[in-house]
Amino acid sequence: MSIAITFPAPRTAPRRRINRRSALVLCLLGGGVIFLFALTLSCGRGCLAPSAVLSALFGSDSAGASFVVNDLRFPRAAMSIVTGLCFGLGGVAFQVMLRNPLASPDIVGISASAGAAAVFAIVILSLNGWIVSLVAVCAGLLVAFTIWGLSSGRGGAGGRLILVGIGISAMLDSVTAYIILEAPEWDRVEALRWLTGSVNGAQLSEVAPVFAAFILFGGLLAVSARDLDVLRLGDDTARALGVGADKTRLLVTLAAVGLVAFATSASGPIAFVAFLSGPIASRLLGGSTGILAASALTGAILVLAGDFTGQFLLPARLPVGVVTGAVGAPFLLYLIVRANKNGGSI
Amino acid sequence: MSLDHRLEAQNLCAGYEKQAILDDVSIALPAGKITAIVGGNASGKSTLLRTLTRILPSVSGSVLLDGQSVHAMPSRKLAQIMGLLPQSPIAPEGITVADLVGRGRHPHHSLFSRWGAADDHAVEQALRATGIEKLAEREIDTLSGGQRQRAWIAMALAQETDLLLLDEPTTFLDVSHQIEVLDLLVDMNTSRGTTIAMVLHDLNLAARYADHLIAVADRGIHAEGPPSEILTESMVKAVFGLESRIITDPVSGTPSMVPIGRHKVVSRSCNRKIA
Ligand SMILES: Nc1ncnc2c1ncn2[C@@H]1O[C@H](COP(=O)(O)OP(=O)(O)O)[C@@H](O)[C@H]1O
Ligand SMILES: [Mg+2]
Repeated sequence: MSIAITFPAPRTAPRRRINRRSALVLCLLGGGVIFLFALTLSCGRGCLAPSAVLSALFGSDSAGASFVVNDLRFPRAAMSIVTGLCFGLGGVAFQVMLRNPLASPDIVGISASAGAAAVFAIVILSLNGWIVSLVAVCAGLLVAFTIWGLSSGRGGAGGRLILVGIGISAMLDSVTAYIILEAPEWDRVEALRWLTGSVNGAQLSEVAPVFAAFILFGGLLAVSARDLDVLRLGDDTARALGVGADKTRLLVTLAAVGLVAFATSASGPIAFVAFLSGPIASRLLGGSTGILAASALTGAILVLAGDFTGQFLLPARLPVGVVTGAVGAPFLLYLIVRANKNGGSI
Repeated sequence: MSLDHRLEAQNLCAGYEKQAILDDVSIALPAGKITAIVGGNASGKSTLLRTLTRILPSVSGSVLLDGQSVHAMPSRKLAQIMGLLPQSPIAPEGITVADLVGRGRHPHHSLFSRWGAADDHAVEQALRATGIEKLAEREIDTLSGGQRQRAWIAMALAQETDLLLLDEPTTFLDVSHQIEVLDLLVDMNTSRGTTIAMVLHDLNLAARYADHLIAVADRGIHAEGPPSEILTESMVKAVFGLESRIITDPVSGTPSMVPIGRHKVVSRSCNRKIA
């Protein structure tokens, strides 16, 4: 399959020319995250002045804003950021490793398996907290390796992997839907979270494990980033350059699944954030270094902006996953159409 | 001047899951020399190079670098001594020539080391040696096959290894570029003492440029030694199943093979020395 890869290779720790563009892009994305974070804190049913938000955050509460800011909006904004970072980073790691933008965890069934496992753990096994996330990680890893196994063979990481992944994804989504039907005590909002992803009613205690996962697995990815980059020259070249191809793939898979599974078990599988972040970041960078960091920040922006849009800019209040899903689907179609035009088989 | 490293295989068996490709092979690459590996399609030449460089685990037997098993060596250390240009490497979309060549510096860096002057120097030298300085900022996808091949060779050169193995480095090149690449490798060999082993399809160029010739056939080494002794009519018959006449290359004085097919044969008489 010859789906064109949309990741311009990052420059080598660039020959003298310090990369201005990547610094600029990272600053802009970081600024975007901060702006949207502030926006989420200030705007709700009513808008607060920045000063009121600050005084509420730092304890000198004046106008009863504390509850709204500290207990409602801050956890929601924090959850948006950490899940966005996790989805963005986990997604791009898969896409780069498999040299294919369609190979993102939310297309090939990793997110679906983490979601189904989380729902299963909560509803059927009555678990909660960290354990749910761990169950989700295990399910994600299981599916990741199943997909690899089913689609292995020479030149495996191509169309077959994606088709097998899409099949598994559909199967697991129906498992999720079935369990939700079996959980009558859940309201529509909670059900929607597990179907499309939502940060409604997020709590700081739920944010913490995702943040820890981001630090742990993100660190693992950062350590593997250089090897991952060389792996794109093909396994033989990578090995000739001293990179253990299988070890790198294993580490990256573990880290990416960990990121996506922890995020999914907190916010549900927020549609297409993992899939969209990498390609967007890669276009912004245009071949400069820093695809991993840029993609993580892009993920955070997508979730923050999607959640804000869903809450305030649309006629009906919608969870973030509905908004990102509506944005992501056309892009998926575009990639598939382009792959077919290029003679790719999918 | 580089150190002479000795790479050898002892009773090596290699292959893929169910298929043995090489059976009980023992060879040594002469240190500081150029070795050419020839053999028919699918005879296991790439398998041999991949096993020698530890890219493919051997089934049994051992590969020794300076007497030490390569499997016992740390990957990065090994990659600083021995480089390989695979037969079909993959270039990520959008990568520029200079960036690709820069990837050759990977084994010289650890997690925390930064790109330095030595790296710049190695990349520049590699670009110059392969004559592609002007293409440094071009994207690989926009190059011709020959230019692309030279970029890959430049990447292997930037790795600055004392041992360099190349799998069909001249395959996509026109004849003048083939000569250019081979001359370049001889330059590397004489100026830096780099030990070179390469798979070549052109027997005449192999005989002309190599000090040592290895013919692979029937899951093993059919013959090895100086080209003047190895490139014979019986060897060509045994390894390639082809009738031929061996004449003397008037330019280099090395043996040169003239194939005999079913057509276009005017005279079978031979060994008419032209020189
Ligand atoms: N990755 C692989 N898996 C299984 N078989 C392989 C693989 N690579 C090569 N082979 C088989 O090994 C044999 C030798 O291949 P190779 O060493 O590439 O030959 P050569 O380089 O001499 O043309 C061929 O029959 C080929 O089909
Ligand atoms: Mg070959």
